[in-house]
Amino acid sequence: MKNYAYYPGCSLESMAKSYNVSSVEVANALGLELKEIKDWNCCGATAYFPVDELLAHTLVSRNLALAEKQGASDFVAPCSACYKNAYFTNKYLREDRDLAEHINYALEAAHLHVNGNLHVRHLIEVFMEDVGLEAIGKHVERPLKGLKVAPYYGCQLLRPRKDHEDTENPRYFEDLLSAIGAEAVPYASKTRCCGGSLIITNRKAALEMVRILLEDAVAHKADLIATVCPMCNVNLEVYQSQVNREFGTDFAMPVMYFTQLMGLAFGLKRDRLGIGQEMVSGAPLLDFAAIQR
Amino acid sequence: MSEKIGVYVCHCGTNIAGTVDVKGVAEWAADRLKHRGVVIARDYKFMCSSLGQELIEKDIKELGLNRVIVAACSPHLHEKTFRTACANAGLNPFMCEMVSIREQVSWVHTDKDAATAKAKAMISGGVERVRHHEPLEPLTVPIHPATLVVGGGIAGIQSALEIADAGHHVYLVEREPSIGGHMAQFDKTFPTLDCSACILTPKMVQVGTHPNITLMTWSEVEKVDGYVGNFTVTVRKKARYVNTESCTGCGICWEKCPKKVVDTVFEAGMGNRKAIYTPFAQAVPRYPVLDVENCTYFKNGKCKACQLFCPTEPNSINLDQADEILTMQVGNIILATGYDLFDATRIPQYGYGRLGNVFTNLEFERMCNAAGPTEGRIVLRDMKTAPKSVAIVHCVGSRDENYNKYCSTICCMQSLKFAHLVMERTGAEVYNCYIDIRAAFKDYEEFYKRVLEEGGHFIRGKVAEISDVARIPEEQGKLVVQVEDTLIGKQRRIPVDMVILSAGLEPRADAKEVGKLFGIACGASGWYTEKHPKLDPVATMTEGIFIAGCVQGPKDIPASVAQGAAAAARVLGKIEQKEVALEPIRASVIEDQCSGCRICNGLCPFNAISFHEDRMVTEINPALCQGCGTCVAACPAGAIVGTGFSNEQVMAQIEGLMLLNVGPEPVAA
Amino acid sequence: MSGEVSFRDEVANMMYASHGNSISECLQCGTCSGTCPAVEFMDYSPRMLIGMIGAGLKDEVLGSNTFWSCASCFHCSVRCPAGIDIAGLMYALKRYSMWKDRHQEGLIGPAFTESFVKMIVGSGRSYEPALAPTYLFKYGPRGLIAEAETATNLVLKGRMALLPTKIKGLKAFQNMVRRIIPIGEPS
Repeated sequence: MKNYAYYPGCSLESMAKSYNVSSVEVANALGLELKEIKDWNCCGATAYFPVDELLAHTLVSRNLALAEKQGASDFVAPCSACYKNAYFTNKYLREDRDLAEHINYALEAAHLHVNGNLHVRHLIEVFMEDVGLEAIGKHVERPLKGLKVAPYYGCQLLRPRKDHEDTENPRYFEDLLSAIGAEAVPYASKTRCCGGSLIITNRKAALEMVRILLEDAVAHKADLIATVCPMCNVNLEVYQSQVNREFGTDFAMPVMYFTQLMGLAFGLKRDRLGIGQEMVSGAPLLDFAAIQR
Repeated sequence: MSEKIGVYVCHCGTNIAGTVDVKGVAEWAADRLKHRGVVIARDYKFMCSSLGQELIEKDIKELGLNRVIVAACSPHLHEKTFRTACANAGLNPFMCEMVSIREQVSWVHTDKDAATAKAKAMISGGVERVRHHEPLEPLTVPIHPATLVVGGGIAGIQSALEIADAGHHVYLVEREPSIGGHMAQFDKTFPTLDCSACILTPKMVQVGTHPNITLMTWSEVEKVDGYVGNFTVTVRKKARYVNTESCTGCGICWEKCPKKVVDTVFEAGMGNRKAIYTPFAQAVPRYPVLDVENCTYFKNGKCKACQLFCPTEPNSINLDQADEILTMQVGNIILATGYDLFDATRIPQYGYGRLGNVFTNLEFERMCNAAGPTEGRIVLRDMKTAPKSVAIVHCVGSRDENYNKYCSTICCMQSLKFAHLVMERTGAEVYNCYIDIRAAFKDYEEFYKRVLEEGGHFIRGKVAEISDVARIPEEQGKLVVQVEDTLIGKQRRIPVDMVILSAGLEPRADAKEVGKLFGIACGASGWYTEKHPKLDPVATMTEGIFIAGCVQGPKDIPASVAQGAAAAARVLGKIEQKEVALEPIRASVIEDQCSGCRICNGLCPFNAISFHEDRMVTEINPALCQGCGTCVAACPAGAIVGTGFSNEQVMAQIEGLMLLNVGPEPVAA
Repeated sequence: MSGEVSFRDEVANMMYASHGNSISECLQCGTCSGTCPAVEFMDYSPRMLIGMIGAGLKDEVLGSNTFWSCASCFHCSVRCPAGIDIAGLMYALKRYSMWKDRHQEGLIGPAFTESFVKMIVGSGRSYEPALAPTYLFKYGPRGLIAEAETATNLVLKGRMALLPTKIKGLKAFQNMVRRIIPIGEPS
């Protein structure tokens, strides 16, 4: 059994609490132990690179060091931005000795040291690769039959990595949704950006980008959008009412985390999956899906 | 014989003299290497000039020099020049050694003192080495007058015809059932808009009926043994299941054949053929082939309609036919196996394979062709609707770090051609999305102008993505091409009915393996490596093997024809000379010292080493050996010597470089 | 060599860990700008910006809103045929802009970034409400009301932390930061 260090990230403590609880619930159900890193710090998201590269990598390195300290082999992040930061910092630590030296010099002041030998994974990768579709299928008690889901990969889960499976048209999220009985609709915008932090710094731009994602989901007759990142989820869901206000649209598209959908399919209780905290409720659909099985 | 060495130090204008004290070096050699045999040391502005060469010739005659060192540029450039000069003066040319004090000294160092010292050391090395030189005679081998041409596309056809017309025999081997290559698939050719088949088929017929050409289609080369002038080639003629002696090409068999197959080769997946088929109407030869993978008889023992209906006496269908293995002797080989198209599914954002109305250039050629699957009508995948708007995407898979870095040369002109054809036949709006328009050759720029005049829209921008998701009503039901129109600085979404991707050219999938068969190498991009990119594009580093056409790199039809003819001319020249002189710089085995360990056997990159089981010794074929020295170094018993690079010569050169035998400093006056 | 460093070199120097090719290899093909989901909101497209950097138009580049409108989606970087990390370049320009304190008027990005960084250094964790002052008042009255509504809903659903959290090893964390950039003595 691999030793997973779990890095929830800041948003999973507040806006994306439901992602946190559902991730842990589903991981437990699949027999994986996610050990939360003690006293982790913010990874900096996209806000530190505009200031200082070295500091940005250092912030992330502290978390990697803490994970290494607790004997982990894998560093697991459910948030795509945290994942992307951790993945590349880890990679650069291995490839660039000067960088590693400089960062370790800083970490020394915090009584830490990083080696860069972790495997950095996104939570969905862990489920797909370490558990596998077949095993996931075996845990399904209430397949989400009749539920049409738009699989929204977002950006930083896939990019800027160029070395892995097709970043332009990946299929594994669709496969995962099929494994839990749902119908993954073809979703052309599945790798198009949700706007990320532009929701704060350039709201107009972000709202337009969200609108395109929602429209595409509606055009493909999706019942709901499944996400793998709290930022994407918040932009699509929390700001949906603002999109409606800005463009005069009337979107009412539920947006849920993939772990919540998995949890439902496994027959886990809704309150343990953080369901009920949404701005746009998916409740009627989920009831429908539950009846359909 | 005592050595009498002449040392000549070239200025090469300021190329060498600007960094190395050439005069000082010559004086140093005359003085400090005198006791090693140097009787004269001169410096001169340009040793390669006729005056420079005369200096050497005069000294050989007057001073009785028996060894010459020329310290100048790289031997790649003037080794032949100086060897010839020596030969003219009666000295064996292999008694002349060049020392490169340009490429290896003045061009790579800036410190004048250090460069001068290095030049001295290198000349000392050369002097020590040349003391061990022996007069060598080049090896001559006869040239067999027959030629093998591999690949029956336009370049191969041109080569074959030129050699055959000159009266010599050609074996033309083609993998597909018919010759013609990619050119046979095209509709019109740029810039003249000649019908491709109309200009190609006369040549194909000539090949098919030429008394001097043995045409083997549906065949592949399996083995090549031997060396220049004396190749033994083994060819597998795959079973056609058709008796070509009696077959008249009447076509009844493929008419009656009940099994339809999607033709992924000639029709680029746009049309069908039968299980027994000729790829196109003007195929040469006209005999069909039977595709056993898709034949009902071969799969479950039923049918035999072809045999049933074959009208000839005797019946031309032979379902028991086996592959035939043939061997032939040839003197020279020309490889003209062409290219494969870049696989556009590798760029998912362009939608090829996912969005129905996205076509590749080859698919579109077949569509335009009057004998093609749509009889020349330009229509959407539904095979009936004509498009009202078409986007043509340039640089698909080319000029791209993520796919192929090189430019595929012909796609801009091909795209312009498509633009013209679409406008002419459908009146549709055409949008060419490009980064640069490459229209460099005769009448190409004029053709570009013509397409502009005809009203083609040109958007300078590489297409980012193609989508079927509409954002505004005008985009409903269309393919949306998203691109930045860089000339106006705006991202545009252009709704069109059809998209044509100008996919780039790639080396054949098996180019590396085929290259190994013939002993030639591929470059970084996978195209075969020519002897010199500027001055010798059709020869390879392997004597007797030539390349022509796209196999050497993407090019248009005129260039392929020119290279085909050039390769043929080279071959004819060789045949004319009846024999070829090979460089005597090669390895040989001292049989007495060979222990039969065979360590060297697998090392030869030129397949020159063979083992004699009966005598338990290794032998090196002097004609194949290129003198690389790998086996010489590998032999643990030191049983392999290299003439022209013996151990003694190399060790002496090293000692010379270390200035071990240089005379003492002259005592200061 | 003269003491002058070109603007292009200055920008290249700001990209330490970028693993892409040099921006001088840009073909100006436009793939980046054709791909960019935010390009309509930029005064210059990413491609134009690269051209401007090459031409040494420092003032125009720093005065543009292009790089502050980059969402870091990296789609440009993975598609660029010249292998340039364009999103990385946008980060480099942000760093340059922050360092020189030169940017277009009215942008939220610079102030937001500064607050975010200070917040993390001060506590080790992110706390959204602390960032609100940097942008709230730039949205205009309608935006302000919309944001207030959103925030209220989040609080009611239990999705907004009411109090900031601090990491336990904060002092050590700050000592660590201090070894990278000087942040002054702890208060």
